[in-house]
Amino acid sequence: MHLPEIDKFANLKSPLHSFDPRLKIISFSILIFSIVLLQDIKGAFIGLILAVVLVFLSKIPFSFIFIHLRWVLLFIAVLFLIISLTVPGSLLLKLSFLSVSREGVKLSFLISLRAIGAVLFIFPMIGTTKFNVTLTALQKIGVPNKLIQLFMFTYRYIFLFLDEGKRIFIAANSRGWTKKTNISSLNVMGNLVGMLLVRSFERTEYLRDAMVSRGYDGRLRILDEFKLSSKDFIKTSLIIIIAILLHLFGWIQ
Amino acid sequence: MRSIIKIRNLHYSYPEGTKALKGINLDIVQGESVGLIGPNGAGKSTLLLHLNGVLKSTQGSVEVLGMKTEEKNLVGIRKKVAIVFQDPDNQLFMPTVFDDVAFGPLNAGDSKEKVRGKVSKALKEVEMEEYGERCPHHLSFGEKKKIALATVLSMEPEILILDEPSSNLDPRARRHLIELLKNFNLTKIISGHDLELILEICPRVVLLDEGRVMVDGDVRKVLSNKLLMDSHGLEVPLSLS
Repeated sequence: MHLPEIDKFANLKSPLHSFDPRLKIISFSILIFSIVLLQDIKGAFIGLILAVVLVFLSKIPFSFIFIHLRWVLLFIAVLFLIISLTVPGSLLLKLSFLSVSREGVKLSFLISLRAIGAVLFIFPMIGTTKFNVTLTALQKIGVPNKLIQLFMFTYRYIFLFLDEGKRIFIAANSRGWTKKTNISSLNVMGNLVGMLLVRSFERTEYLRDAMVSRGYDGRLRILDEFKLSSKDFIKTSLIIIIAILLHLFGWIQ
Repeated sequence: MRSIIKIRNLHYSYPEGTKALKGINLDIVQGESVGLIGPNGAGKSTLLLHLNGVLKSTQGSVEVLGMKTEEKNLVGIRKKVAIVFQDPDNQLFMPTVFDDVAFGPLNAGDSKEKVRGKVSKALKEVEMEEYGERCPHHLSFGEKKKIALATVLSMEPEILILDEPSSNLDPRARRHLIELLKNFNLTKIISGHDLELILEICPRVVLLDEGRVMVDGDVRKVLSNKLLMDSHGLEVPLSLS
């Protein structure tokens, strides 16, 4: 199964691709924190525009971003609806027994802008570097080794897990089983998912054997090739200044 | 000729109680290529996992290159004994081929330069020099198999163990693998059901069944013995029948 990998466009050339991965992760993390902490809609809107500009600079196609973003948008749409209907305040719209408050819509907009902006920032941060290099950079900036191994194995085996799941369901379909919304179908589906988990557990044992055979002692070692240049520091400073300015803009208002 | 693997009265039971090995005695000499055959559940894979200390014997001893497979020797043994597992997806767990091939040398504490050299040499040996930046998931099964071989060759082992090396390979990939293996100047232990492959590479064969060594001898003599092969759920290879 081919899923769109997050680092599919890591081989392009852009100012973000040439940015040192360690400083890129640090500066973009600050930027993401900055946008999610914004309390002002205008500031959040500027943050979102900035995120779009950075995605544009990264040369990652927007069509690719939309594939990943659609689930986030779906989640945000549900959140938007719930908040608009549940936050008390001055009445904006009344539909039968449902009432939409002005404050609810405002808060929904603020949360949506912040969420979309934050997710968009992830693409220039992670999508412009090969995933293995990102992991090495995370290791270099002090992220716990166990967490990095968790990221790595998830990324490596998610495709295999999905493939295995697909094979199990094909085997069930080929023997006449079809997905239905009844207890019997759910029962079979539970068994198939259970089997998938058992197989995954079995695989972890084989994997452990393979790792131990090659000298694994619990710590992941990856070769790094990082070199810092003055350009990296300029880019980092610029991003951090922008992160601060987003908040200053709100305070001035 | 010195024995580099000495197995004495090796017993092993799995935690749930299944007795997988029942008193194995075996000596393997440096530079030998030995085939390990037997029906499913004979204990072949279990035996192989004892050779670099992944499994620990219930009774008996395993000595590799003069070192007993005890905790204090495992780092040294694993640098010298390399296992290529049956399913390459269990062997290739890093995000790129390069990282996977570099995994063993990095764990051995080699310098960056040395690691790069070893990775490049290992990929060249399996004729996959161009694959360093590729993600293992997107390789064909045959390519994965060759990369899995490279991941252990980069450790520059003295003993190469292969568990079912040709399973799921198409004839061309299988042939390529056989030619590669023939050229490796290492002690080789090859386990599996591909008896033609074993016949081509290994002058000696060990037949295992029900956790015991049934026969240990010349590959042609053993594999052409129809009565023996039939009694252990095996078949005489076509080229010998």
